[in-house]
Amino acid sequence: MSEQIVKAEHLVKRIGGITAVDGVSFSIEPGQIFGYLGPNGAGKTTTISILSTYLPATSGDALVGGFSVRREPLKVKEIIGVVPQEIALYPTLTAMQNLRFCGKMYNLQGSMLDGRCREMLELVKLWERRDSRIEEFSGGMKRRINLAAGMLHRPRFLLLDEPTVGIDPQSRERIFDTIFKIRDDGTTVLYTSHYMEEVELLCDHIAIMDRGKIIAAGTLKDLLKMLGEGGMIELEVSPPGCASGLEEAISRLEDVTGARREENRLFISSVSSARTLAPVMKLVEAGGCEVSSLELYSPNLEKLFIHLTGKELRE
Amino acid sequence: MKKLWYIATKDLLIVAKDRGAWITLLLTPLVVIVLASLALSPIYKGGSLHATLLVSDLDSGGVGKQLVSALAANPNMTVQAATEAESRTLKRAGSTYSLSLVIPEDFSARVEAGSSVQLMVYDDPNSTTSAPFLKGMIEGTVNRFSAVEVAAKVGVAEALNQNPAASAASVAAAAASASSQMANQPIKTSEQPAAGTKPLNTFDIETPGFAVMFLLFGVMIGTEGLLEERDKGTMARLIVAPVPRSSILGGKLAAQFLVSLLQISLLFAAGHFIFNMDTGNSLPGLVLMVAITAYTATAFGLLLAALVKTRRQASAFGVLTILLMSALGGSWWPLDIVPPFMRTLGHVTINAWALDGIKGLILHGQGFFDILPQAGVLFAYGTVCFLAGVKLFRFRNA
Repeated sequence: MSEQIVKAEHLVKRIGGITAVDGVSFSIEPGQIFGYLGPNGAGKTTTISILSTYLPATSGDALVGGFSVRREPLKVKEIIGVVPQEIALYPTLTAMQNLRFCGKMYNLQGSMLDGRCREMLELVKLWERRDSRIEEFSGGMKRRINLAAGMLHRPRFLLLDEPTVGIDPQSRERIFDTIFKIRDDGTTVLYTSHYMEEVELLCDHIAIMDRGKIIAAGTLKDLLKMLGEGGMIELEVSPPGCASGLEEAISRLEDVTGARREENRLFISSVSSARTLAPVMKLVEAGGCEVSSLELYSPNLEKLFIHLTGKELRE
Repeated sequence: MKKLWYIATKDLLIVAKDRGAWITLLLTPLVVIVLASLALSPIYKGGSLHATLLVSDLDSGGVGKQLVSALAANPNMTVQAATEAESRTLKRAGSTYSLSLVIPEDFSARVEAGSSVQLMVYDDPNSTTSAPFLKGMIEGTVNRFSAVEVAAKVGVAEALNQNPAASAASVAAAAASASSQMANQPIKTSEQPAAGTKPLNTFDIETPGFAVMFLLFGVMIGTEGLLEERDKGTMARLIVAPVPRSSILGGKLAAQFLVSLLQISLLFAAGHFIFNMDTGNSLPGLVLMVAITAYTATAFGLLLAALVKTRRQASAFGVLTILLMSALGGSWWPLDIVPPFMRTLGHVTINAWALDGIKGLILHGQGFFDILPQAGVLFAYGTVCFLAGVKLFRFRNA
């Protein structure tokens, strides 16, 4: 059996004429919360669908708990739990009836089934509402039951597909608490989202996906290093095209770790924004440019995504 | 197998909680069956229709008046005197009629002379019920009226045969006597059910027809439930669980079969206990037909789910197909009254085979072995639908 809980190699999925997943490879260590970050349509859900055996890969393979999703799908199904993006529950049944049904699909019965249902409902803070129909719940409560249904059988590997879409902050906090709790209990989690704040908060390891490909992967610290150790300075200069070669001059300054120009915008990473700002302004002025806007910020995934793709994460 | 049963019980629980489903499954069919049985009772049994006939009597003699009197004597018909123009247009005093009769001027003279005579009947071709009804009654009365005339002539002949030298007065008396006897004692018919048959109860005809139709409509709840499960992600949850696809589909079909079986059984039970519907002489035969009909309807629902992409398509295509099958297959009217080619065409439907078997038991006193051919065809029909449905059904959205 592999030491890694997931090892995906060159996964490709073509749907119609579109390559939704394009040669994706990554691995997840046991006990990690692995973040899968990308805009809508990047291929996150398709990757989860392959790992959960819902969709067959066009090519490539993935081992989940040492079992091939291609050749041993039934064994994979027994060790995974899936929380889909949709509220995959029966609205006219109660919370308890939904959970009992899900548990039976994983061979839970009798007192063990009852115990697990209670444990999960208490974990997502909905034990008191166990006999209410799902259709009577708020969006956030439905999401929490959706999560509970995926965790009921204590899977070794839990796949969460955007589990916080459209919910209130309180429910979001409860879902985060639940995820930390199950991670502490030994479950490995794959968490997809297009909310970079969630991924930054939750995940030990992150892969950033765009247009079917993983464009960066590593720990949060590793990824943010791509933007510089200390901070970022972003300048908008005018007139357009002024001071050609300005970015080269800036990149030679002490403390500056990188400088890039896109038309009239300059992106500068440095060990210390405070120390770097004054010499940068001098060079800009010397080049005959005027500063029309200035922004100082710490590196984050949103900026990294823009840095890597030239577009915002939520586009 | 356990998981198949868990899925089936989950679906049964969902249906049990759905009030709308029970309205479709039981309340609507019962209301329609009662209304149809009460409304169509006169057509099946005859007798209680009543209509008004416009009559223009242009005859100058007395025979025309006798004919009008004879027509007016019919309790199911009101005779309304009219001018010839009114009879031609079927309109009188602001009212419209479906049929009129014009008695010609020389009617008496031609009848007395033994010549042929023609009565003019004007009808509204769009009046599909009362005009044929009135025509039938006019023909009956005229035929009887002719019989009176014939009887009079026979009476005269007999008088002359017995006594060629009889006086004119005695011949006239014989004719009058024969005519009078015929008029007073017209040919009467006495109806009696044939051996092995029984008096008609309209519910015997309407309950099976509409029960089969609403059984198919009931199956659409299952069809839409299957597609909803696929659309809303619960099917995906089942697919990624360690559950064989055969159990997923089997569980859903088992639930639908049980709901269908319950639905048609309850409709027949209501027909029997509330409306005195006959259940025939073979309860095992009826149970077999009901079970196979429920099976075939369930398989039809699966095939429908496999052929459409969305719930909206299922609803539109399903309603159209079920209405067509019901019209062609004898759910709305007995196939005995349709032209032979329509009867043959009707047997492409589930309804026709189901009703052949069920009505054979209920109306014609057939036994278990008599309906095995219909049961066999229906079972084969269901199996073809089932196999095609299993082959074509997509567990994932495209």
